[in-house]
Amino acid sequence: MSNDRTLGVAALILAAIMLAFGYGLEAPFAYEPVGPKTFPLIAAAIIALCGAILVIRGGGAVVPAGPGVNRALLSLAASLLAYALLFQPLGFLVSTTLVMVPIAAIFGARWWQGLLAGGSIAMGSYLLFERALAVVLPAGVLAGII
Amino acid sequence: METLSYLATGFGVALNPTNLLLAALGSVIGTMVGVLPGLGPINAVAMLVPVVFALGLPPESSLILMAAIYIGSEYGGRISAILLNVPGEASAVMTALEGYPLAREGRAGIALSLSAWTSFVGSAIATIGIVIAAPLLAKWALAFGPTEYVGLMVFAFACLTGLLTDSPVKALLAIMIGLGISTIGIDANSGVYRYTFGSPNLVDGVQFATVVIGLFAISELLIMLEGIRGGAASRIEQMGKPLFSWADLTFTNMATLRGSIIGFLVGILPGAGGTVASALAYTTEKRVVERRGTADSRFGRGDLRGLASVEAANNSASNSNFIPMLTLGIPSSGTTAVMLGVLTLYNLTPGPALFNSQPTLVWGLIASLFIGNVILLAINIPLVGIFARLLSVPAWFLVPFIVVVSAIGVYSGKSTTFDLVLMVALGVGAYLLRRQGVPMAPLILGLVLGKILEQNLRRSLSLSGGDITVLWWSPISVTLWTLAIVVLLVPLIVPRIARRRNANAIEAD
Repeated sequence: MSNDRTLGVAALILAAIMLAFGYGLEAPFAYEPVGPKTFPLIAAAIIALCGAILVIRGGGAVVPAGPGVNRALLSLAASLLAYALLFQPLGFLVSTTLVMVPIAAIFGARWWQGLLAGGSIAMGSYLLFERALAVVLPAGVLAGII
Repeated sequence: METLSYLATGFGVALNPTNLLLAALGSVIGTMVGVLPGLGPINAVAMLVPVVFALGLPPESSLILMAAIYIGSEYGGRISAILLNVPGEASAVMTALEGYPLAREGRAGIALSLSAWTSFVGSAIATIGIVIAAPLLAKWALAFGPTEYVGLMVFAFACLTGLLTDSPVKALLAIMIGLGISTIGIDANSGVYRYTFGSPNLVDGVQFATVVIGLFAISELLIMLEGIRGGAASRIEQMGKPLFSWADLTFTNMATLRGSIIGFLVGILPGAGGTVASALAYTTEKRVVERRGTADSRFGRGDLRGLASVEAANNSASNSNFIPMLTLGIPSSGTTAVMLGVLTLYNLTPGPALFNSQPTLVWGLIASLFIGNVILLAINIPLVGIFARLLSVPAWFLVPFIVVVSAIGVYSGKSTTFDLVLMVALGVGAYLLRRQGVPMAPLILGLVLGKILEQNLRRSLSLSGGDITVLWWSPISVTLWTLAIVVLLVPLIVPRIARRRNANAIEAD
């Protein structure tokens, strides 16, 4: 179902977006022969060319993953997105401990193993990065407590 | 003579206690990263970018740490390839071919120790090669102006598309996507906002660490998940004799030497790293042995010579990769591309000038390669059992660890949710591209070289008043363009010959 043609179409769409948003780029004061839009448009043209070749040539079908695998992939992507969104509002320690439970579960852990993994990694990296290496991590809901 | 005094300066830099400690630390991390499937050198180096800044390390120390990780992962990759038949990273695919059968025969200890030794020989030969070749190339590259630079980049891109023979179209597509990403943000020459879509988060472009971590670390997790669900490999527990014998050594010496030389030469070419080198060394060795009569050939069933040449080649290549990176500013692998990206974060412009203007940085790095390889040999023969134990770390612990370190790395740059979401989006996008066979290394090279290419192109055309023929006025430019065309055309002709050879080889099996 998914093959080089799909990729080719995606490349053509990307090229179209680059063209649509790149064509109007003009420098207010042009003092050089090549403006800001030339380079992006060259890239877009070559992307379009690659896309066209892929569409015309076809082939290269990817073996579809089983339904179970697809569901696992989707839940992993969703968990990662949730982590990205909760990281700042909930704070590093809370969001990490929470979201690592489903992520560990996707890779075959029981819920308490996931909690253990998430909690220990959260605590360990908090001490390493925030305390030892002075990388600022969000405190979130624990602001004022830690 | 001049070179030797520079090298002495380099050793002065590399032997300073901090840098020595970083080289040792990098060697250990690198080996671990190489062992663990799902964590390649690129991911490790990318995740370290924010850390080296948090530590306030000077550029040479950062590079020494990253280089040690890079070469260390080549050592580590062989461990999982031999014991698990799962290459810890791409260039170890060929290692598994001979190494795993050897391990199944109960000769895992010999395979591991011998491959550590040949890795060391390959690296040592390549580092000596760097000392000889790099200054010559740097001197030649000093004559480069903007137009020659454009030619050089085109040559590098041609190498990328031509040598990654799997699918040139997809490699080209990847490069162009990388170039496209490099144009996001404010245009330095005109002040125009490009592809920012009104978002203040994109004004100064996409954060380098975000792109690299998203493309490599996050997409790798999805790939890993697919692999785990696909079925598990069985791990070899019996190590057998721990050390190779003198007879094993003399039996493989020539193979090691051939592998080292092939690796060194391939590594110099932009775009061709350990993966191409090990494949080429393997096929060459097989041909050499079989031409001599197939009586003692055990290729495919565990031949020490195959293992020796492959390991010598991929380590040699990953060391000689530093030649184009340091002298021309052209990275020849994903990892060296990330390192160049780090240099730009220090406001150092990669290119021919670097080699001459930053001798302590360049020679310190070269000297640290010598030191790093000695450390790696020292830890890889006796401690191999400890590293092998890493293979029993369950995925459900490893994956959360990678996710957390990735997120910290991305967040520490600008502290925005936007970057975290972008990281996930890029990771999912990269996974979809990788499933379709689009390679990621060219994309990152396109991203790193994009700005430099555009600047040089615009500068050339400004100087000529818009006359595009300026790009092939000088003899150097003409040479580079010709080489680019040759590199692009060779794969169109060679596959026919190669296919016929492969067909013969398969029949011989």
